[in-house]
Amino acid sequence: MTVPNEHILFLAAILFSIGVCGFFIRRNTIMVLLSVELMLNAANLTFIAGSRMHSTAAQAELSGPIFAIFVILVAAVEAGVGLALVIALFRRKQTVSLDQLNELGD
Amino acid sequence: MSVGAILCSLVVVSARNPVVSVLSLLGSFVCLAVIYLLAGFQFMAAAQLLVYAGAIMVLFLFVIMLLNLGTSEEQNGPIDRTLLRARRIPIVFAIGAAVFLLTLFGIETQQTIMEVDPELAERGVSSMSGLAELMFSTYLLPFEAASVLLLSATIAVIVLAKRGRTELATDASAEVTQ
Repeated sequence: MTVPNEHILFLAAILFSIGVCGFFIRRNTIMVLLSVELMLNAANLTFIAGSRMHSTAAQAELSGPIFAIFVILVAAVEAGVGLALVIALFRRKQTVSLDQLNELGD
Repeated sequence: MSVGAILCSLVVVSARNPVVSVLSLLGSFVCLAVIYLLAGFQFMAAAQLLVYAGAIMVLFLFVIMLLNLGTSEEQNGPIDRTLLRARRIPIVFAIGAAVFLLTLFGIETQQTIMEVDPELAERGVSSMSGLAELMFSTYLLPFEAASVLLLSATIAVIVLAKRGRTELATDASAEVTQ
């Protein structure tokens, strides 16, 4: 018997919680983006676990991996655009700290 | 592998230096790729390694190095920093040794868990064609939408980069006229 699906789901939950913690705790924009990547990975893991859960010995359920591939694509796009925004911000403000980028709220 | 992934993710969130956290996120991604492989999804593991560990992490590292963020978050005095570092090194070594021993223990005691189910492995190889067929029939519309998304993201990044440059240029010319 291989790894049970519940363990994979638990791992995904733990990774997602760590990502959420990082998202709220860190003040560096790049660290926030990294936390988002962590959360997307947890979602991927959940897709994989669900696909494993629903596939039988004869027929493999393949919708999960396809959605996971789309999630990877979206993560790549998000990283590209987010880092471009970070660079543009750094050019204007010389900082990437979220505490100093609060003009919209004032 | 799960222990490794969790430890790496904890380091990602708690590390002061962005470079350290990016590298530990890389470790976490590799652990997840191994989990995909053990679950029988070879293509997912390959995509994870190529896209995440290859492309996205290099992008993050490049931006961190470009903006020189490695030391910007540490605002302590030099003495404090050296003390912190001296204190941190044995902790890092202890964690590494613990992970190594845990994996050794896991391999020793639960050999079956680390083994790939042969049935699953065979299905994974044969699932490549199934994956491609599904992607180009049922999920054709999302596939095309993904291509449009990639194109628009490319254009957005180019616009962002160019606008920043022109603004800088106008600022510089304004300073010159002043």
